[in-house]
Amino acid sequence: MDGPIIKDNTITIPSDQDYLVAVDDFLEGTLRGFGVDESTIADIAISVTEVVNNGIIHGNKCDPSKALTLQIARSGSTLKFVVSDEGEGFDPSCVDDPLKEENLLKEVGRGIFIIRSLMDKVEFENTPEGVRVTMTKTV
Amino acid sequence: MKLSDRVENGVAILEPAGKIMGGSDATLLHERLHEHIDKGVKKVVIDLSGVDWVNSTGLGILISGLTTIKSNGGQLKLANVTEKIQSLLTITKLVTVFDSHDTVESALSSFE
Repeated sequence: MDGPIIKDNTITIPSDQDYLVAVDDFLEGTLRGFGVDESTIADIAISVTEVVNNGIIHGNKCDPSKALTLQIARSGSTLKFVVSDEGEGFDPSCVDDPLKEENLLKEVGRGIFIIRSLMDKVEFENTPEGVRVTMTKTV
Repeated sequence: MKLSDRVENGVAILEPAGKIMGGSDATLLHERLHEHIDKGVKKVVIDLSGVDWVNSTGLGILISGLTTIKSNGGQLKLANVTEKIQSLLTITKLVTVFDSHDTVESALSSFE
């Protein structure tokens, strides 16, 4: 894959953080097309770009031959975002509590906490193909 | 993220713009901070007025900046924290880590 591929409401990128902006542009453009307000767009973008970051870095180990896909679906006022990588899977319950005093100055480890705060529902699924993260938000 | 900066009365004022979300953003801020440290400028204000939002990786980049400056004997303060970013700092308890000011002028006058 040489670069981002966009088809309908799906974008697929090589696992390179240089494509993060392309994912965000696609995401925010799609949400504006749905008529979502700017504050909610920001909350969704904060969450989705973080999951994409994690998929590129931790899932696909920044291997550009591995793909990362974001699918956006709308059902009435509920939006669903599915991020899929080709990683070996992980256990979200193994993440340290980012609110503990000893973890406050850590540069990583608060992503899942923030995503759970901003989105209505977050599900992590280890599949034979990789990790699938599904986030929903009613707008 | 785009990043401009200036030095005023011995204090570096960094003005990121756009979104702080990872990738090259970390390198850009890290290199700029070290350029100032190498020149002996160890008091820094990050003016967030032009930042739309920051994700968790972006918060990590700001924390990295804070620890870099502190480990070099300096101080880092935030200014013009937007409502969206303030909300994230609050829920993550990072309000207890960063010294935030309503304006750049207020941040500048707070340096010891």
